[in-house]
Amino acid sequence: MANSLTNVIDLGYPGTLPTLNEEVVNLAIKAATVLNCKIRREMHFDRKNYFYPDIPKNYQITQSRTPIGYDGYLEIEVNGEKKKVYIEEMHIEEDTCKSAHRGVKTLLDFNRAGVPLIEIVTKPCMTSGEEAKAYLEKLRETLFYCDISDCKIEEGSMRADVNVSIRKNESDPLNTKAEIKNIGSISNAGLAVEKEILRQSKLYDEGKTFKPQTRRFDDKKNDTVLMRVKETGNDYRYFPEPDIPYVILTDEMIEEVRKTIPMLPDERRKIYVEKGISEVNAKKIVQNRQLSDYINSLLEDDINFKIASNILLGDISAYLNKNEKSITDTTLTKERFIELVKAYDENIITSRNLKDILTTVLESTKSIKEIIKEQGIENISNDDELRKIIKNIIDNNKESVEDYKNGHDRAIKYLMGQVMKETKGKANPRIANELLLEELK
Amino acid sequence: MKYLNKDIKEINKLLKEKKIKPIDLVEEAFDNIEKNKDLNAYITLNKEEAIKRAKELENEEVDNILFGLPIAIKDNIVTEDLKTTCASHILDNFIPIYDATVVKKIKEKNMIIIGKTNMDEFAMGSSSRTSYFSAPHNPWNKNKISGGSSGGSATTIAARDVLFALGSDTGGSIRQPASYTGIVGMKPTYGRVSRFGLVAFASSLDQIGPMTRNVYENALLLNAIVGKDEKDLTSANKDDEDFTRLIGKDIKKMKIAVPNFFMSEIVNDEIRNKVKETIKVLEKNDVKVDYIDVKYIDNAVTLYQIIAMGEASSNLARFDGIRYGHSYENPKNIDDLYLSTRSEGFGEEVKRRIMVGSYLLSGENAKVYYNKALSIRDDMRKELKKVFDKYDFIIGPTTTTTAYNLDDPMDDPRKSFMDDVLVIPVNMAGLPGLNIPIGFDSNNMPIGMQIIGNSFEEAKIYQLASFNIYLQ
Repeated sequence: MANSLTNVIDLGYPGTLPTLNEEVVNLAIKAATVLNCKIRREMHFDRKNYFYPDIPKNYQITQSRTPIGYDGYLEIEVNGEKKKVYIEEMHIEEDTCKSAHRGVKTLLDFNRAGVPLIEIVTKPCMTSGEEAKAYLEKLRETLFYCDISDCKIEEGSMRADVNVSIRKNESDPLNTKAEIKNIGSISNAGLAVEKEILRQSKLYDEGKTFKPQTRRFDDKKNDTVLMRVKETGNDYRYFPEPDIPYVILTDEMIEEVRKTIPMLPDERRKIYVEKGISEVNAKKIVQNRQLSDYINSLLEDDINFKIASNILLGDISAYLNKNEKSITDTTLTKERFIELVKAYDENIITSRNLKDILTTVLESTKSIKEIIKEQGIENISNDDELRKIIKNIIDNNKESVEDYKNGHDRAIKYLMGQVMKETKGKANPRIANELLLEELK
Repeated sequence: MKYLNKDIKEINKLLKEKKIKPIDLVEEAFDNIEKNKDLNAYITLNKEEAIKRAKELENEEVDNILFGLPIAIKDNIVTEDLKTTCASHILDNFIPIYDATVVKKIKEKNMIIIGKTNMDEFAMGSSSRTSYFSAPHNPWNKNKISGGSSGGSATTIAARDVLFALGSDTGGSIRQPASYTGIVGMKPTYGRVSRFGLVAFASSLDQIGPMTRNVYENALLLNAIVGKDEKDLTSANKDDEDFTRLIGKDIKKMKIAVPNFFMSEIVNDEIRNKVKETIKVLEKNDVKVDYIDVKYIDNAVTLYQIIAMGEASSNLARFDGIRYGHSYENPKNIDDLYLSTRSEGFGEEVKRRIMVGSYLLSGENAKVYYNKALSIRDDMRKELKKVFDKYDFIIGPTTTTTAYNLDDPMDDPRKSFMDDVLVIPVNMAGLPGLNIPIGFDSNNMPIGMQIIGNSFEEAKIYQLASFNIYLQ
């Protein structure tokens, strides 16, 4: 509810003073580290002074002169090509309040006012909407995996403004810049860039120019719309925030934070592929952090990761989605999952079997072996028993045997079908096939 | 029967023995204030609530020496449910919803808030004449100023309405009015007292401090208000100490520096001579006094103007008519709301300082003025700190003149800063400084002396300050 989470400090009441959230400093150190930034050891905060109803003190506490991180990069991949997106700086600042315009009135919601945020500024080094999208996706994934933010654009825990300016030749200086705000999704960020490039190109083609401006992305029009032209010489009267003393970041503090950084998405994908998981599956797993963490807990174990990934992304994911559960909410411990993968790998169960027992596997604590036994689905892998059944089938299907011997390959499929029918699907298909061929010789 | 003119230990004894009740003290205080109404020391009286609180305290144990004693609070320190105006039209109906940290501490000591004292608007001024509620008068001569900006607090102490008052000191605003009214006023070390709930003027200089009739009571009130506060990152983490502990202790062999600037021709002869007399008394008591040069202190006022006005222009931006305080009705648009609210709400001096401050921070000026001032301030701080390698104290007069006439012209804005030329260096260096009365001039107006100590050595300042009681 609007204004239900406010206090005298966030409302900028007379006499109140800001405090520095220690957690945000740690998160910023973490972000700076994973974004390959240099970290400033002695930093302070600055006041950015301007009158606007969304900043209760009419100044915003930010870091203008000593951003905590600078000179970093994040690697993206677009159409199979790798590229570094350079990060100019990242700083800590306080959030503003939310304003909503209703006719001539403006409504203010101070719930998020004063909440600390990290702003990450890239250099002008991306050249397409695709690249902007790839960067934002990579950024979101990285920050999310490091628990820096849940990065939900819909909920405002990650926001992006894009600045677009174009030039004719790469050696020319960049032309006038337009800033686009109010972008509701990563794909819209890409779209906004593309649309803005088109708009600006058209203007230049017509021999027109434009003033530096702030635009917003209108998702109904699917285009950018002018908000305001930037007045020249906007003077924020920056000066060091006297209410917050200098912050000194020691090697120990930075090291402590470094220790909390988990394995990053790139490394995860690389290891998964090395372990035999397909690239497609590796990507899919990393898209779901819980599954990825689950897989990571198995990395020391000797299992068939290809099968493990198939099971996780297939039937198990379907179950989890349907029941709105995460894997850690189920009874599938690491030990039981390993047992399951092995049973599958050794053809003790088939994918059809798995579907039958899945609910029990995920909701009971019985061992996989016990479940297989109880449900009577253990595959017949015993050679002697299978051979007896196969011999019987050969005896009773003389015509098909003839066909096979005359080179009709289809006959073998029919005979296998008979084997499966006789065993109610419990025969281990690989072994059954081998035995059948042997008996037919 | 009068009690508030007695020794504090005696009052405490009477309370403990139930011979008097807090309500007797509260009623006496309000009688005094009523009698001295024409001094205009108060903006708001807390009568109903103070009486209620006094009655509640009748059933409580007298747990400390400040128990049940009335206290006046400068009106830029916020008090829950009690109007806090900063002597400005823009806040003349502002009732805070929280207590400043010092107010909480005072309430914990079971002191009783008697009212909110008059001051310069947003503490900007040196005679309390910028108050929206007109200036307080000096009890020694009603035609004279009480000084400022804590003029109301100084007035009520000098008039002996109550024993205790809180003031705030950004560029001398406790010590200078204390000097003009002949009382004891301490500006503690920057960071000693939490600023949470003090309406900010210049954040890097502001400090709350006690104003009292004598040194001992001053130390007692300081005991009550100090301490690290999680809500103020600039508050210092210091162990508890009793600031009265050195009072009356021997000062023999102590070393004192007197900056030549403090005794130069900028100071009126009568004051200079009085300080010299005091120095003679000290020397007679085996205290070593040297006259020295201190670099940069003659630049303090210039630095102060840049730093204080720059910070003030930003600190006062929040008064925009949106969330609290005066708000212009039916504005045409948001800019009209800002402009009209602030044009109506602020007085001339405040507007002037906001404009100058904004100019000083604009564009390249921030580098040329504000940042440069900060760096020279650092140099000045180092110079002053260096003095304490060799000396225990720096002393000198608190003011260049005694209190002047209320109807003296106010048309030269620089004049008001010159009133504070001797007190401002202390704020710039973050040091503790105390005014004690040392006599009167030929017009029977009080003369004050300033004792400056090293950081966090307030207890030692009280030790020297008590010499006149014990040695003269």
